[in-house]
Amino acid sequence: MKRLVILVLAMVLVSTGMLVAQGSSEDSDVFEVAYIARAQGDSFASWLANSIQQEMDKYPDMTVDIMDGQASDEKVNSFIENSITNQYDLIILQPNNGEAQMPYVRQVVAAGIPIILTNPRIPELIGEVSSVDADPYEQGAVNARYALDLVPRNAKVVVLNGPAGNMHSTAREKAWDQEFFAKRPDVTIVGEQIAHWNKDEAMAFMEDWVQANDRIDAVISMNDNMAAGALEVVKDNPKYADLQVYGVDGTAEAALLIEAGKMTSTSFQNAYELARTSVELAHRILTGEVTGLYDTDIDCPLITPENVGQLIDAHKATGAIK
Amino acid sequence: MKVTIEKSKNFAIKNSIYFILGAIFIISSLLNENFLTVLNLRNVLRQISVITILAFGETLLIIGGMIDLSVGAVFAVAGILSIKVFLITDSLVLALLTGILAGVALNIISGFLVSYFKTPPFIATLALMTMARGFVLLITKGQNIYQIGRYIEFGQGSIGFIPTPVIFMFIMLAITWYTLNHTRLGRSIYAIGGNEEAAMASGIQVPWVKFIVYLINGAFVGLAGVLFMSRVNAGLPNAGIGFELDALTVAIIGGTSFSGGIGTAAGTLAGGFIIGLLNNIMNLVGVNSYVQQIIKGAIIALAVIFDMAAKNRRARVQEN
Repeated sequence: MKRLVILVLAMVLVSTGMLVAQGSSEDSDVFEVAYIARAQGDSFASWLANSIQQEMDKYPDMTVDIMDGQASDEKVNSFIENSITNQYDLIILQPNNGEAQMPYVRQVVAAGIPIILTNPRIPELIGEVSSVDADPYEQGAVNARYALDLVPRNAKVVVLNGPAGNMHSTAREKAWDQEFFAKRPDVTIVGEQIAHWNKDEAMAFMEDWVQANDRIDAVISMNDNMAAGALEVVKDNPKYADLQVYGVDGTAEAALLIEAGKMTSTSFQNAYELARTSVELAHRILTGEVTGLYDTDIDCPLITPENVGQLIDAHKATGAIK
Repeated sequence: MKVTIEKSKNFAIKNSIYFILGAIFIISSLLNENFLTVLNLRNVLRQISVITILAFGETLLIIGGMIDLSVGAVFAVAGILSIKVFLITDSLVLALLTGILAGVALNIISGFLVSYFKTPPFIATLALMTMARGFVLLITKGQNIYQIGRYIEFGQGSIGFIPTPVIFMFIMLAITWYTLNHTRLGRSIYAIGGNEEAAMASGIQVPWVKFIVYLINGAFVGLAGVLFMSRVNAGLPNAGIGFELDALTVAIIGGTSFSGGIGTAAGTLAGGFIIGLLNNIMNLVGVNSYVQQIIKGAIIALAVIFDMAAKNRRARVQEN
């Protein structure tokens, strides 16, 4: 037992020594950036974090430390405080909850450290800090406008929502309400549930809806994961060959489903573009190329069978599609 | 006559969970005409399979006075490793074995910590949960794996009219039932959960039994991970978050006592059915998401209160 304890302690000491050695060998001319991700367990957040790392690697004068907020406000806020203490040159923050992070972002500003918010920005802090985001209303709206003419008359549709209170889900739902349901009173919602962005939960809901309804003409989903879950249930059922399915995000799976003619459309929330724009802005701020605040929105293009090839190419480039 | 009434009462008390299940079943069939169809009941069975398999593992652990909080994370590791092996080898058998072995291998850590280092199971499995989730995110870089081909046969296939996951669920039910009722290991698990010191005094190798129970649980978790990833047709590294609570809920509703020593495999299956039927009927009749949570919480509380009251009554009857 004693030997085991000594062994563990020795391993801890060696690891600590290696970390210290690594830290001291870093070039002091290199800008150190902290990237605080909302939750690496969230596939989009993880995609964004990986893209940030890839973009950072293109700049020899910048390094990034990526921190995982694990969908916890307490953890995200602690990372912000630690980043101030560690005197990073710049912080890029993907907030978990705008309200909860707001006072901590203001602490960063008070400490004189530049900060960029991304995916999403915090509306109350516009004018105080820079941000790079995609407009969640538009992400829903481009699909809703596309669906206006496609969804048949007197259609029966089901709706899959993200977590309650989530800003992106709420804004996408609002877009569908205003841009589609308000203009198509003939359409009936026969099922609407929260599937928490998850494919398996969406599958269970769809299985039940298929039993409860004689027909379903369209699935309106606030992300691609849930849309793919609904499709998984009916993919071999000829009765649903004409089912229309709408999502948001432009994931690799959605791209393949659109290419196969199973999914109708999605909007591309381009993590690569968010990362490229955020990292480029970070570099320009750090090198003094720009001063002042910048709020940038990336595009959220509609992806349909006509242009899905571009999305597939983008995913192939990163290895997400073979 | 009195004896017959007393016997009937005891029978009802002993099987209270099944009466609750029966009541939910009858009420559901009255609420919606689509409920009592073969296709719908097949859906319910398929939907509860994964979580009930996890709950069988938890049942063994809880009866023995242990717990596993790492279920969701280990389940994700097992599923992802299984898919990776399948994509390399194109062998379903190897993929299945990988998933099960991954679950067992990770549970060696929990079993070792709990049995030989006397770490409280809550802490040991919490540590494993954190490590396993980090590991699965690391090996996938947090990204989902798609294009998994015929790997979906485990979760979406069927033998005759019965979905494959349901067959696996019943096999796991049989294993759990047999282990608990017809093996020395089963008797030792009940003894340890009932009174660990007495079990030790009676010559039971408590650390060894605990270790073995974690390994069995690991096999269940690994299998469930394979079935889940196959069902959703993707490798999802963030899958299973919160599943430990779902599995615990199923076991507890099924009559497994959190204080150890009490529980049955059939009860856990009934617990799985109760949760599955509740979710199903509420979706069929279109109950709002928020209201669903309130109703589900209330029914879980009522089921457990009813079960506890029945057990207390049974205990009083036995004392008299």
